[in-house]
Amino acid sequence: MQNLNIEETKYTPRIELDASNGTISIVGKSYPENTFEFYEPVMKWLEDYFDGNAQAETKINLEIIYFNSSSSKLFFDLFDLLEEANDANTIIINWIYDEENESALEAGEDFQEDFENLTINLISK
Amino acid sequence: MDINKIQDIVKQDGIVFLTYGGFLSQALISGMTEALEQEAAGSELNMGDANDIFTIFIELSQNMMNYSKNKDKDEFKSEGLILVGKDENSYYIHSQNIIALKDKEKIEPKLEEIETLTRDGIKKRYRELRRSGKDKHGKGGGIGFYEIAKRCSKIEYSFTPINDDRFYFHFQATINTKKDKN
Repeated sequence: MQNLNIEETKYTPRIELDASNGTISIVGKSYPENTFEFYEPVMKWLEDYFDGNAQAETKINLEIIYFNSSSSKLFFDLFDLLEEANDANTIIINWIYDEENESALEAGEDFQEDFENLTINLISK
Repeated sequence: MDINKIQDIVKQDGIVFLTYGGFLSQALISGMTEALEQEAAGSELNMGDANDIFTIFIELSQNMMNYSKNKDKDEFKSEGLILVGKDENSYYIHSQNIIALKDKEKIEPKLEEIETLTRDGIKKRYRELRRSGKDKHGKGGGIGFYEIAKRCSKIEYSFTPINDDRFYFHFQATINTKKDKN
């Protein structure tokens, strides 16, 4: 299956979806004008990946500096997709935040509470 | 036109970082966000407070971009006023734009609800709505005002009628700064 890379812009993160080593990373700011449209290829890729193309272990690194509320909803939907795939797959999620960025930490804690079945590590840097 | 009059207005009420009136686009919003980032980097703001300001600014600007209406005709006009400023212990963000009655009817109950909730209540409600996707629509999760309320100390708003179907929607978020940058 093909990898998917999307370059960072001023308002969208750098996205690297690598099927060959099972690593997914989303790094940067996220406030697109049409959030659901922007992330549609990402969600589609993840669905295909977990539909028989996943590696033994999938590692997901999320480092979102700040985001708009529609991105917050999108990330919720993303975690929802991961939770569904979690039974049949080993998924490790790293929510990476700057130690001074309280809002990013709080957002990670909320996702941890909302998705108790997922392994979400909060990692400060 | 006397540009000093604008300068006076801007100076009158504390220090204003940024004020803009006119058409909004995504490129303009990200440019203004960059200007705010620079302002924050050169001030005593800690990263948490700064990010709250950026998020509220983006939320309000994108709302204006998506919902502002022409005064008379039934068409969108991505236009509004937005202002970010500072007084002694807080930062404030004002926005004003024209909205349609049907959008007022969607927004007002949310704002009224937010006013009755405690901080923890707002956070709880935000997560409930995010989970249910009840108010999700093409451009967002319907949780923008809860996102704003969760990140500021106080919200204020008013709707001023223009005609039967149009209102000036004025919104203000105040962010009390928690601590100095260290």
